[in-house]
Amino acid sequence: MQFIQILAFGLLLGGVYALLASGVTLIFGVLDVVNVAQGAFLVFSALFTWQIWDLFGFEPLLLIPLNGLLMGLLGWAIYRGMLVRVAPQGPGMTVLLMFGIALILEGILNLWFGNKFKSVTPSYYLSSFNFGDIVLPMPQLISGILAFITLGLIYAYLRFSWAGRALRASAQNKEGAALVGISQRSAASLAFAIGAATAGVGGVLLAIMYPIFPATQYDWISRLLGIVVLGGFGSIPGAITGAMILGVTEAFANTYLPQWSSLFFYGAILLILLFRPQGLMGTKTREDVVA
Amino acid sequence: MSDIVLTMTGVEAGYGGGLVLQGMDLALDRGTITCIVGPNGAGKSTVFRVISGLLKARSGSVKLGEREINGLDPAEILRAGIAQVPQNRALFPEMSIRDNLLLGGYAIRRDKALLKKRTAMVEEMIPLIKERASEHAGNLSGGQRRMVEIGRALMLDPSLVLMDEPSLGLDPKSVAKVAELIRGMAAEGRTVLLVEQNVRLGMHLATHGIVMEQGQVRLTGDAKDIADNPEVASMYLGKASGT
Ligand SMILES: Nc1ncnc2c1ncn2[C@@H]1O[C@H](COP(=O)(O)OP(=O)(O)O)[C@@H](O)[C@H]1O
Ligand SMILES: [Mg+2]
Repeated sequence: MQFIQILAFGLLLGGVYALLASGVTLIFGVLDVVNVAQGAFLVFSALFTWQIWDLFGFEPLLLIPLNGLLMGLLGWAIYRGMLVRVAPQGPGMTVLLMFGIALILEGILNLWFGNKFKSVTPSYYLSSFNFGDIVLPMPQLISGILAFITLGLIYAYLRFSWAGRALRASAQNKEGAALVGISQRSAASLAFAIGAATAGVGGVLLAIMYPIFPATQYDWISRLLGIVVLGGFGSIPGAITGAMILGVTEAFANTYLPQWSSLFFYGAILLILLFRPQGLMGTKTREDVVA
Repeated sequence: MSDIVLTMTGVEAGYGGGLVLQGMDLALDRGTITCIVGPNGAGKSTVFRVISGLLKARSGSVKLGEREINGLDPAEILRAGIAQVPQNRALFPEMSIRDNLLLGGYAIRRDKALLKKRTAMVEEMIPLIKERASEHAGNLSGGQRRMVEIGRALMLDPSLVLMDEPSLGLDPKSVAKVAELIRGMAAEGRTVLLVEQNVRLGMHLATHGIVMEQGQVRLTGDAKDIADNPEVASMYLGKASGT
């Protein structure tokens, strides 16, 4: 029973990782930009959630659509205002730009919130869900389920809408997309907006699961990049698979060897990359990402 | 109305610093098949990129009928009636053949009835597209991929079709199928501009021929005359050009 409980916990955690990492890998797939600011977007949304919850005290989960929308708009504006100009200079420059944006966001958050942990503690914060012998913490359960629902919505949008088709087309063949009349710029703006929106939604989910402070962005971005590299840069199914593997690995490590949990997280990545250097489902090698 | 579909006059274009096209001229009559031949690097594909708006000409003019199209973006040129099947792989490998075809109609996506009609038209012309609709385009052979690329280009019912080395890397059977499609297009009143490395095939298909060298037209004429021209023959026997 404990095995199933840990597995379920790991899959829920994996769902949250999957949502966050999909945003990074989607942006990379369309724009060839490694969005190292995703961790900062995430923490920004989480602290914003804390602020609103602290001021008004209403259910933080209600902020999901708002935060998704706000971060989506911010992403869109960053792309249109800055990234589009820097993009022709290649991945090296865009990483620098996104890193700069991450530092600025972190600075703003530090000024506003100080360097202290903030915890959002709604009524269900300490409650759990019992299903027979399986006991799951309520925040993790809710976050995991909402992450899967959000992923499902994104999937349906990418698969069945014209804008989603255009976005995927642009990721798979830029010249081919241009030849059927898809503008790279609108596909890229949309990809960046959706990618950032996942951080907006994910920030709310993290806020009810973990205490947050500005510098936790480093921890989050390293996890997300780890997942994306493991899945294969640019591959959403890869990111989801990678996220599940790492969520489960982390859940088991946390139960049996809690001090070693990060080691297991990154160890699993290293081990898999030894056998599949392009990642689980990647087509581009890691050199392409850097070059 | 004039019968000239497309004219290029004195077009100069290039990538970065250098000029690839150095005063390119071209005129295509309605319903004709014109074949451009010339050594590698002569700028044949660049002509196509300029016509379809992927590359802007620095000077000179490109007219579709009376309308200047240089400077329009690729989507507008597509809507004006010019479609291109490029030299390199143009499909979306991880999408189904059906979705690839549908994306050919991206510019008319809001007109569902028209989209449906065009899909049916193309499926009838190229049965493969219907037979393997749900397969990923990445799994197709070179010849099949070409057929889907051609089908996709026809989704907007273009009046001018550009085909860059359509026979490249195909087996003889597929080449014959592609040739048949090209003839069919011209018979329907479309104008076709193609580039062929295989000069014999190209000139056999075409009504008009153009020999390009170093970004300029070296020779134009009826396809037959070009094919019989001793200079062209010597060029493709591997002797240095221009001697
Ligand atoms: N994307 C590009 N960037 C820079 N140079 C290019 C590009 N595409 C083609 N060229 C150069 O332009 C010249 C003409 O190329 P192209 O039009 O493809 O010739 P062709 O199709 O006749 O073989 C070549 O010297 C080639 O190296
Ligand atoms: Mg070429």
